Amino acid sequence: MKPPVPQEYDQWLEQLQTVDFVLTELQLYLDTHPSDPQALQQFRAWTERRRLIAGQFEAQFGPLEATGGARSLHHWDWVESPWPWQV
Amino acid sequence: MFTQQKRYYPYVSPYDPCAPIRQKFYQTPPELYLGFQPPGLPQYSAREALARGTLWPALYSPYGKSSREAQR
Repeated sequence: MKPPVPQEYDQWLEQLQTVDFVLTELQLYLDTHPSDPQALQQFRAWTERRRLIAGQFEAQFGPLEATGGARSLHHWDWVESPWPWQV
Repeated sequence: MFTQQKRYYPYVSPYDPCAPIRQKFYQTPPELYLGFQPPGLPQYSAREALARGTLWPALYSPYGKSSREAQR
C-alpha cells in the first residue's frame, strides 16, 4: 500500500483549483465579451500561470490527467496510484 | 440599490394541519439587477474568488446565510 501523499500535495491542488476557478470565470465572461482586451490579457496570463503550476505539480507527483501527454518513454506513469481524486 | 433577499408572508389558514410559517425568504442575487455585465468591474483576489464563488464583488451573493434562523 503506498504511503500517503506529502502535505504539499493538497496545497498544490488547492492552488491549481484556485487558478482553474479564475480561468473558468474569465472564460464564461469572455463568452459574452469576446473582445474585452483586459479580460483577454488576464486570461492569457492566468493560463500561463496554470501551465506552470500544473507542470511543477506533475514533475513532483505525476500526471494530473491520463491524456496529459506521457512524459517518460519507458513507463506509463498514469497507472501509478494515487490518482488525484483518490487522495 | 437592491436587496439580496426578500420576504413574503404566506396566507395562514385555520385549516392548516401544521404550524404556520409566517414569513418566507427568497433570494434575489445581483445578476437579476445587473443586466449585461460592464467590462472592467473590480475583482477579488484568486483565493477570495474561490471562497466566494465569483470573481467580481458586484456579483457576490451571500445566498441568505443570515436568514435561515428567522424563517418561522
